Order: sequence, then structure tokens, then C-alpha cells
Amino acid sequence: MTDYLQLAQDVVRRAAARGVEAEAIVVDEHETQVRVDGGQVEQLAQSGSKGLGVRVIEGGRVGYAFTSDLSPSSIEETWQAAASLAKVATADEYRALPDPQPISQEDLEIWDPELPQVPIEDKIAFTKQVEDAALAYDPRVVMTNRCTYQDVIAHIYLANSRGFAGTYDRTVAASFIIGIGRDEGSQTMAVGLDASNFYRDLNAQAIGQEAGRKAVEILGGQPVQTQTGTVVLDPTVSAEILAYLSMALTAEAMQRGRSFLVGKLGQEIGSDKVSLLDNGRLKRGLASAPFDGEGVPTSASRLIDEGVLQNVIYDTYTARIDGTVSTGNAQRDSHRGLPSLGPSNFYIQPGTLSHEELIAGVDRGLYVTNIMQTGGIDPINGDCSMGASGLWIENGELVRPVTGVTVATTLPDLLQNIVAVGADLRVVPFVGAIGAPTIRVEGMTIGGK
Amino acid sequence: MIPEDTATRVLAAALDTGGDLAEIYVEDRTSLSLRLEDSKLEHAVRGKDRGAGVRVLFGPLAAYAYTDDLSEKSLLSAAQAAAAAASGKGKNLVIDLTHQPSPLEYPVVKPFDSLTVADKAQILHRMDETARGFDAHVSQVIAGYGELRRRVWIFNSEGLYVKDDRNIVEVRAMVLAQKNGVIQRAMEGFGGQMGMELFDAHDPMNLSLRLAEAAVKMLDARPAPAGEMTVVMDSGWGGVLFHEACGHAMEADFVSKGSSAYTGMVGQRVASPFVTAIDDGTIPGRRGSLRFDDDGTPASRTVLIEEGILKEYMWDLVEARRMNRDSTGNGRRQSFRHLPMPRMTNTYIAAGPHDPEEIIRSVKKGLYVKRLGGGQADIAKGDFVFSVTEGYLIEDGKLAEPVRGATLMGNGPEVLAEIDMVGNDFALDPGMGMCGKGQSARVSVGQPTVRIPRLTIGGTDEEIAGAMGL
Repeated sequence: MTDYLQLAQDVVRRAAARGVEAEAIVVDEHETQVRVDGGQVEQLAQSGSKGLGVRVIEGGRVGYAFTSDLSPSSIEETWQAAASLAKVATADEYRALPDPQPISQEDLEIWDPELPQVPIEDKIAFTKQVEDAALAYDPRVVMTNRCTYQDVIAHIYLANSRGFAGTYDRTVAASFIIGIGRDEGSQTMAVGLDASNFYRDLNAQAIGQEAGRKAVEILGGQPVQTQTGTVVLDPTVSAEILAYLSMALTAEAMQRGRSFLVGKLGQEIGSDKVSLLDNGRLKRGLASAPFDGEGVPTSASRLIDEGVLQNVIYDTYTARIDGTVSTGNAQRDSHRGLPSLGPSNFYIQPGTLSHEELIAGVDRGLYVTNIMQTGGIDPINGDCSMGASGLWIENGELVRPVTGVTVATTLPDLLQNIVAVGADLRVVPFVGAIGAPTIRVEGMTIGGK
Repeated sequence: MIPEDTATRVLAAALDTGGDLAEIYVEDRTSLSLRLEDSKLEHAVRGKDRGAGVRVLFGPLAAYAYTDDLSEKSLLSAAQAAAAAASGKGKNLVIDLTHQPSPLEYPVVKPFDSLTVADKAQILHRMDETARGFDAHVSQVIAGYGELRRRVWIFNSEGLYVKDDRNIVEVRAMVLAQKNGVIQRAMEGFGGQMGMELFDAHDPMNLSLRLAEAAVKMLDARPAPAGEMTVVMDSGWGGVLFHEACGHAMEADFVSKGSSAYTGMVGQRVASPFVTAIDDGTIPGRRGSLRFDDDGTPASRTVLIEEGILKEYMWDLVEARRMNRDSTGNGRRQSFRHLPMPRMTNTYIAAGPHDPEEIIRSVKKGLYVKRLGGGQADIAKGDFVFSVTEGYLIEDGKLAEPVRGATLMGNGPEVLAEIDMVGNDFALDPGMGMCGKGQSARVSVGQPTVRIPRLTIGGTDEEIAGAMGL
């Protein structure tokens, strides 16, 4: 077997001999995907691929090149292409590679030794169970769509010319299904999904049932009157909103005026129910790793503490600008791009109320189980508007399905108006790994009839 | 990229276990992307990505294996991996590959390298200066340039051998403006399937100026209303609404499984008589155009809706074989790492009879949508949601003040049936559309100005809607 760490180190050594800083990453991945429809395997894909990415920094100017061809001549061309691109970039004194730091040997539990041994037949059987569970949930779940199982077995090798050399292995198994509900005159769809580093942690029943339940419970839904009121957000919905909020909590967004939270550091920006954390070292965290995309050890940061904005996440570049240290948040999902600053395992600290208690405490309001939006939640200007469906709450009871409404607020108002946070934290594999429980928010505009 | 005799042997190996059809998809992609922010060109990335996938169709199953190593040994092992999913007897087919040229021409007049990387970087720097020079409130500029060449070779066990060469170039920018703690932004781009002649037709500085003006204008926007209103959508990019809310539901995978609102509706009235909708993968210069789709089927022009009557869906090879009919050339894949699926190419609503000025004049109170952001639709029911990135109230037939934070929500099939005015000002978008359906694909959209009598607006201002008697 090729020693890819050695390969990465050789590349940076050769580039460094020309007087530039260099970093090389090799990603070696194996993927499996199974898709089932009507009890039959519809798609089955299995493959391996690998590639090299090289970042060159010369006088604060960055160039990057990547290739899937690891022949000696291609490797040579790749780092030279990166070096020649650096010449057109703008010099920026803060652009530099990080110095090597000790990497903890703590087991983050991101490698499932069993996954590479799981036979494809088992994965097919698992995918069929997901579909069966959705269809068995209720006779009104008439079919499913894109019932998929997917896994990735990845080996990451990273080296830089300041002497960093590191490698780690990770596994991810995920499953996804769309349930289609139908009764007289009404058709709905809803998603069930889950992901884990460990194959055995995936629960086919739970994934299928979630899609079935969410599709059936909104059958026959109608819009409500336009009004301002209380909204209870399902964990999957809270997580989607948090994913956009996370984009406003990076040092880059702050430094470049791309965040509605610019200038708010140290200030109260939310209710005391809101504490937000980013933790790249969470055990069995989908986004956990011993070091980040540029070789900096990952860490845990408390970004919002009981409503007060305490910190933002950093990579090496943004930390140098602010005169601080990187939080290890340079993300990199393949060798095909530069590291970019983003959240790792990002989650709102759960409260003590159960999901049922959160709903029981509402006189009149909307329990939102599904949102549709693209660009309606804006981490730059703070707008927050989305299409929604779910169940109407009256005197603490879920009384009837609601579809075809919008719910809107602004992100600053949303943070201030979070009045209760549930204990039912759930990690949703959406834009990294975002965790959220059920959340109750006051004062949202519900747009309907 | 791979010799024909190698392809023949790999296809034979792929059919060794009784598959119905075997295919090799070879792709070689080279890319350059540049990005400027904070007046600094800071991302300069070149990429080379090459590989091949072997697909075996066996009854309802598509088995696939890909590799980034194009040696015969590696391709044979991919063929065996894909073949392992089938369980029949080998057919010993004689495979006679015949190269089939395409009559379609998508010329690259000025090749990518007719401008140096430094020239391209300079364009981004000038865009930055132009936007910042427009108004002191402009607070940030992000400008990007991208080029991608995808060369594709497809061989299959029915003797098919085709090639495509797709050259995509694009420029994008986002301008932020800031005043009294309020941040607003405007974002757009242009591009096409061509070379550097893109810059003969489009001036990047005009894009910069337009975005700076829009971002500054939005600083004074009031919160959008909540509730139902009449909506007038601008021509061009506004066609993304049809793409999301109706187009996806006309893709054969959703249709043939019965999960689409349009299943079984061919020949029936699904839209107002003013609506004719077309998917055309053969328009020169457009980013959704193909010579052959990613199944190797020639690209074509498909009339989806003619004067309100549903005529046809969009088919790929797998769905067409399932229904025992021809593909419409809509099978597309993101790369050799993906299986093809039915996708749109360049999809639009054709011109109608109305004067666009008259359409705006006809609205007493409503919303004029100048620029839509992204959108999402639920295929089963046809419900859609879009964010409005630049919108204006219409009062007494005239454009009034800008509004922020608007989401449009409605039902695709209902909206198509209700569209009551269609302008004569048809336009395609400027060429930066990207569609995500599990895999990303470059597409174009288009339409004339259209009027939708009633849509739900999801703003935060309950009072405006109330005051307007809605």
C-alpha cells in the first residue's frame, strides 16, 4: 500500500526547496451507496477514489491546485500549478501556514472498525428495512422516494512545510428516505434521516418511521389566518435555522462585515435560554477530527453563553488578524478545495423540558415539523422567513394539520424570543453536524390566508 | 481517452453476469476558479479530475462502480464490481462500437487561455473598484470567476460511442451595503457555454454597478408584508420559479413512480392557455446545453406544456427503458462519480401576448419581484417557497418602495393554472443557474414578465397586508 503521508511530505519538501510554504493533503476514500424502491434495489454504487491537493503560500499569496492523478509527473505539475497561481493572488501578511502543535491521541470514536467488514448484503437489507418501516407506519404512506443508505470510509493525510504531518481515519454511515403520504385529495412528503460514525448506531426503524409519521400527520393540512404568535420548532427545523446562524458566527463573517452580529461581541444578543457551542472534539461527533483542515488541533468553544455573544470560530488566517489562536475550525471536505472556516459539531445547549412539555405549555400556536426555504434565512442581513408545515396547537394539544403557511421573524428577534429549549437534543447531518432540541419561540409572523 | 478495444473488453466483462446493458462513462475535467473578497484576490484554484464509471443495468437495478485510474486493469475491476450485482448468464454479445458525431455546435471562439490568469484576476479587481466607487455605503464586494472544461466519452454495449466537450465560464458577484447597522446585499452573475467571448457580450463592470445600486437601494427597504397578494415576476431569472415548482415534477423519475403532481396528466390542461413551457438542451451558448446527455442520448428540445396542455415529461435512459419509450436526452450526472438521473437543461416559459408595462399597470396593490433568490419545492404536492432578494411594492399600477425579507409561497400546479398575464418580453437568465437534486447541474431558466393573481408572501409585517385589505 502506498504511503500517502510520505507522498504528502515529499510534495511539501520539494515545494519548500523552492522557497515557498506548502501544504499537501491526500484523501483516500471508499464509498458505498444503496438505493431501494418498492423492495427492490434500484441503485448500487461502490467505489474508491483518491486525490492530492496542494496549497502554496509565497509572500502571503496563496495558490491551490488538485488532481486525481497521483503519477509522479502529475504530482509535480500540481504543486507547480499552485505555485504559479500564487503569483496572481494578492499579498496578505496574515496568510501563513500554522506551526505544528501536539495532537492529542485521545480516541474521538470516529472510526468504526466494523464498517469496512459489513457485507453489501447487510447494507441492502438495512435499506429495505428503512423503506419497510416507513410504509408500515400507516397505510396512508403510499410510497417512498430515494430510500438511500450511504457510507464513506476515509483516510486523511496532511503535511506542511513547517513540519506538521498527521493522519486519521474516519467512517460515516447515513440513511435518508422521503415518505409520501396520500389520502383523498391530499398528498404530502416528509424526510427521515440519520447519520453516525458507527454503522450499528443507525436505526432503520426510527429513520423510516420518522418519514412516515411526518408525512401522514400533515395530510389534509390547511393554512391558518395570518397572525403573530408562538411557534414550536421540531429539532430538525431548529437545526436547519442554526446551520444558517452558524455562518454568522465565524471570525471571517465578522471581519468582513458579512454577519448580522458584527460589533455585537460581548453583548447580549439572545434570551438567557440560548447557549451555543462548537466542539470539534465531541466523541462520536460527525464533524469530529483530531486536527482541522490545516493541521490545527480541534477544540471546544462556547460561542453564546446564556444569550451573551462570547466568541466566534477561527482558522489560522482569521486568528492572526485578530491576534488570537485558531479554534481549529478550518473545514475541508475533500482534497478538491482550500480549507474554509466553518462550524464543526455545532449545537444549542439543551434545556430541561421534554418535547411534550414544550407543546403542552402553548395556548395557541404552530408546531413546525418541516420547513422549506432557500436563502430565506440570511446570516448577513438577519432576515428569517420560510415556508412551513406542521400541527396547530390549542390549549397545549396538537389539534389539526397546517400546510402552506410561512413563518417569519428576524434572526436577532428569534434569538431574543426563544423562551424555552427542550432536552431532546438531536444531531442532524445538515451542513456539517448541527445539533438542536425542540425550541419554543414567541412573536413569529405566521403568514397564511 | 481510452482505446476502443479496451472499451469493448470492459463492456463485455460488465455483461458477464447477464446484465441487460453495460456502459462506460469517461470524464476528464479541468477547472480554474478565482475569488476576490475584501479587495484581495485570495482564492486561486486549479483542478484536474479524471475517471470513469462502469454501469450495468439488470432489470430494475443500476449497479455502478467508478475509478480514477483509467488503466484497462482498473476498468475491468470496476466492470466486475458492477457486474457482481447482476445474477444471470453471460450473453457473449458482439459489441461493435460506432462513433456517432453530433450535429450540434457550441463553439469556443476565444479559448479559456486566450486571457491569462492575471487578466482574469484583473477583471475581478476592477469589479471590486467599480462597486466600491458607486456609493460610500458599499461595504464589501465578493467577486468570482470560474471556468470548467468537461470532456466526456460514453460507450455502451449497444454499440454507442459518443463524445461531448462542455466548456463553461461564469462570473459572479455579491455586493454588500451597510448603513446605520443595517446590512443588505445583492448577488448575481452571468456565464455560458463558450470561451472568453463571454466578455464581448457582458461587461462585468455593469454587473458590479447594478449590484451596488440594488444593495444600496435595499438599505431603505421596509419589511415585506405577510399574507396573500398579487405578484408580478420579472422576466429572465424569474423562470426559476417554473423550474422548481413545476419543472422538477415533470422529470420522469418523479412521474413514473407516481410521486409527482403531474403523473398521468399528459393531454390534460395543467396551465392557463397563455403558458407554453419548453426544455431545450440544444441552445448554443447556454450552460444547460449538451451535445449528448450523460447517457449518450442526443440532446433535444422538448415541449412540456403547449398553450396550457401537458405534452411531455423529461426522460433519461433508465426511466425511458422502464416505460419502453425513447429518452428525451435529459439524463445528467454531476461527474463520473455519480449515476445519471432525469434533469432539466434550459427550461423556460415562452413569450405571451401582454405588454410588460401593462402588466404592472394592471395591479392596484401587489409585489413586483425583480430578483428571486433560491427556491425549493415539494414534488408530491407542488408547494414551493422562494426568497425574494429584490422586491418592490406595486401601488396603483406603479412600482413603489423596496421590501426586504419576503418569501413567496404557493403551489406550482395552482400557480400555472392561475397565471393570467404573460408578457411579450421573453428572456433567458444571464447564465449562472445551478440546480441541486442530490447532484448539482448547470441549468438555464427563462420567462417573460408574468402576473400571478394570488401568492402567499411570508414577510414579517402583518399590518401592511391588513391595510391593503388582504
